[in-house]
Amino acid sequence: MRTVLLGPQRFRTTLGQVIGAVVPDGAVATVTAGWQDREGNTGELDAILGGRGRHLNLYGRLSDVLETDRRFAEAALAHRDAVDELAGIYSARLHSALESVYSVQRRRHRPDLAEAALADGVRVVRGIDRWYLETLDQLYGELQAAAPPEDSEPISRHRAEVAEALRQAAAVAIGGGHVGVLLRCLRLFDVDPPPQLPVIGWSAGAMCLTDRVVLYNDFGPRGAVGSEVWDRGLSRAPRIVALPHARRRLRLDDPMVLRVLVRRFADARCLLLDDGARVDLGPSGELPAGARVIGDDGAVHNLQEPS
Amino acid sequence: MTAIPGAIPKRRRKLVINRLMDRRPLDSATVDRFVERYGAPIVEGDRATFLWRGEADQVLVRHRVIGWPDPLPLRRIPDTDLWYVTAELPAGSRVEYQFEVVWGEHRQSYVNDPLNPKLAHGPFGASSVLSATGYEVPDWCRPDPEARPGELVEHVFTSKALRRDVRLWLYLPARFRTVVRYPLLIVHDGRDYLDYTTFQTVLDNLIHRGEVAEMMVAFVPAGEQRLVEYANHAPYARFVARELTPYLTDTYPLLPTPEGRTLMGSSFGGVASVSTAARYPGLFGSLFLESASLVFTDIGAEHGGGHVFDPVVRFVNAYRARPRRIVERIFMTCGMYEPLITPNRSMVTTFREAGMEVRYVESRDGHNWENWRDRLRDGLTWLHPGEQKFVYE
Repeated sequence: MRTVLLGPQRFRTTLGQVIGAVVPDGAVATVTAGWQDREGNTGELDAILGGRGRHLNLYGRLSDVLETDRRFAEAALAHRDAVDELAGIYSARLHSALESVYSVQRRRHRPDLAEAALADGVRVVRGIDRWYLETLDQLYGELQAAAPPEDSEPISRHRAEVAEALRQAAAVAIGGGHVGVLLRCLRLFDVDPPPQLPVIGWSAGAMCLTDRVVLYNDFGPRGAVGSEVWDRGLSRAPRIVALPHARRRLRLDDPMVLRVLVRRFADARCLLLDDGARVDLGPSGELPAGARVIGDDGAVHNLQEPS
Repeated sequence: MTAIPGAIPKRRRKLVINRLMDRRPLDSATVDRFVERYGAPIVEGDRATFLWRGEADQVLVRHRVIGWPDPLPLRRIPDTDLWYVTAELPAGSRVEYQFEVVWGEHRQSYVNDPLNPKLAHGPFGASSVLSATGYEVPDWCRPDPEARPGELVEHVFTSKALRRDVRLWLYLPARFRTVVRYPLLIVHDGRDYLDYTTFQTVLDNLIHRGEVAEMMVAFVPAGEQRLVEYANHAPYARFVARELTPYLTDTYPLLPTPEGRTLMGSSFGGVASVSTAARYPGLFGSLFLESASLVFTDIGAEHGGGHVFDPVVRFVNAYRARPRRIVERIFMTCGMYEPLITPNRSMVTTFREAGMEVRYVESRDGHNWENWRDRLRDGLTWLHPGEQKFVYE
C-alpha cells in the first residue's frame, strides 16, 4: 500500500514531483471537494499533473444530490443540525476538561500527586473524545436509516461513476481545503481507494487519510481554544494525527499544551505537515525516519527510525 | 520626591508645543511652519496636544471622555493666535471631539478641528478624531476585493404590534443557498450600523476569511419613537419576538433553535436587546451589546440620565433585583471613556451570576459608531465563529 502525506502546496509545490516519482504513468483521480465552489478551478493543478488529472468533482456531485434528492437533502440537513449540536456539547465538555488538565499540570509541589491527577485528567479527555466519536457514529446511523444512500438514484449514479473513475486511475490525489466538506463528500460517494492504488494527500487531504481528523487553530480570532476531534477518517494512515500548517496554526512553543496533546492521542503520533513536508508511509502505515512529530516532552523531533 | 527602588526614571522629551513657546521671536511665520509640520492634534507618547488658530476670547475642546475636564479649555500662547491644551492619551486610545469657540456674546459650538482631516461620521453629523499611538483602523473593515459581497435586500414589514410599517434590510451572505440553515442576527439601529460601521463590508470580509459563520442579518432601523420603543417597550419586544423573528424563520432557511438567534444593539439598542430577551426568555440564544445604556440605581431614583432613562432604570433595577437567565451567551463591549462604563462593568457580574456565559471587552474609546465598528470582529467571531478551523489549504 503506497500512501504519501504532503504539507500545504500553496507556497512550496511538491505534488508534481511526488506524483512523477510514485506513479510515472496513468491517470490521477483528483479530489478537490475541499475547495467547495472553487472545485472546478483546477488550472494550476492540471498544469502540475501534466494533463493526467481526472477530476472526480465530488463537491459538484454533492450539490447535485442536494438539489435533486429532496428526501436525502432534508435528512442531511437534519443530520448537520444534530452534528452541530453534538459538536457544541462536545466543545463545552472538552474545554472544561482540558482546562482542568492544564491547571493540574501547572502544579509543581508534589509531582507524584500531580502526575496521578494529570493521568486521570487525560483519561477523562480521551473519554470525551471517544464519547463524541461514538455519538457521531450514531448520528451517521440515523442518517443512513432516514435516507439510505443506496435508495437514492442520484447518489447511486454518482457512486458508480466515481468507482469507475477510480478503477481507471493509477493513483488518487486528495487536495486541501475544508476538511469537513471533503470528508462529507468522500463518505457520501464511497471514496475508499483500494490498497493497491497509491494515494497522495496534502493538507486537509492528508488529514482525511488518518483515523481521526483533529481540528486546531491557536491563532484564530478567538485565540487558542484547544484542538477538537471532528470525525473519523479513511484510516489509510493509521495511528497518525495529521497536523498541516502546524507552524502557522499551533503554538509549538508551548510544551505544556503539546505534552497533553500527545498523551491525549497516544498511541497515534502527532505528525507535523508544514510547507515542503513529504511523508512516505510504510506498507502498514509506519512513519518513516525523519518524519517530524511532537514528542512526549512536548517538543518537535525528527523520528530517528521508522515508527 | 520619593524614589521607587528599582524603577528607572522615565525621561520625557519636552513636548513640541513647549519647545515652540521657548522660541524667540515667536512670530506668525514660525507658528505657520509649526502647524504645517505637526498638524493637529499632536500625539507624543501618551500626550496629545490640541491646537486652534484664530481670534477668540475662549476656545474649548468638547468631548465625552470621562476623566478629562469637560470642557477642556485651551490656553492662548501670548502674542500669537495659537491656542493649545495638552491631555493624557494612553496608547490605543481613540477620541472624538469638537471645538467650542467664544467671542464676546457669540458662541460657536460643534466645530470640527480645521487642522485635523480625520473625521468620524454618525447620525448627528461628523466629529474630529484623535487617534493615539497604537490605534489603527482594522483592516477587516476595509473592502477586500477577494471577498465576495453578500446581498442586501430591502423589506417593508407591517407590524401590528407597533401599528406601523417597518422598513428593514436583510443581509444574505455570498453563495446564499436554501439547502443551508443560517444563524440570524437582528440588529437594532440597523440603518445606522450599515451607514456608520461598514457592517456589510465587515460581514463580507469576516465570512470570506472563515472567521464568522455565514449568517443572515436583519438590520432594523429605529422608528421615530426610538427612545420609547427601545426602553423596555412591550409592543416593540412583541414586534421583534412574535412578528419579525417568526416571519424571517418562515421565509428564509434559518436555524430553528435559540442558539441560532442573536439580538444586537448599541446604547439604547442594547436595552432593546436585553429587554426583548427578558420578555421572551429562551427565544434568543445570545446577545451582542455595545455600550448598552443599562443604567440603574442602587438606592432612590436619581440616575442623572433625564426622563428618557426612567423606564430603562425601572427595567434594569427590576432585573438586578431578580436576575435570571434570559439567553445562553452575551458578548458585551463598552468604551472606557464613556459614562456607561460603570453600569456595564457591573452588569457583567449580574449577567454571569444569573448563569449566562459573558465575554466582556473594553476599549479605549467612547460612545460612538467607530468604537462599535471596531468591536464587531470580537463579538461576531465569539458568538458565531466561522469555519476557519476546518480549512487547511
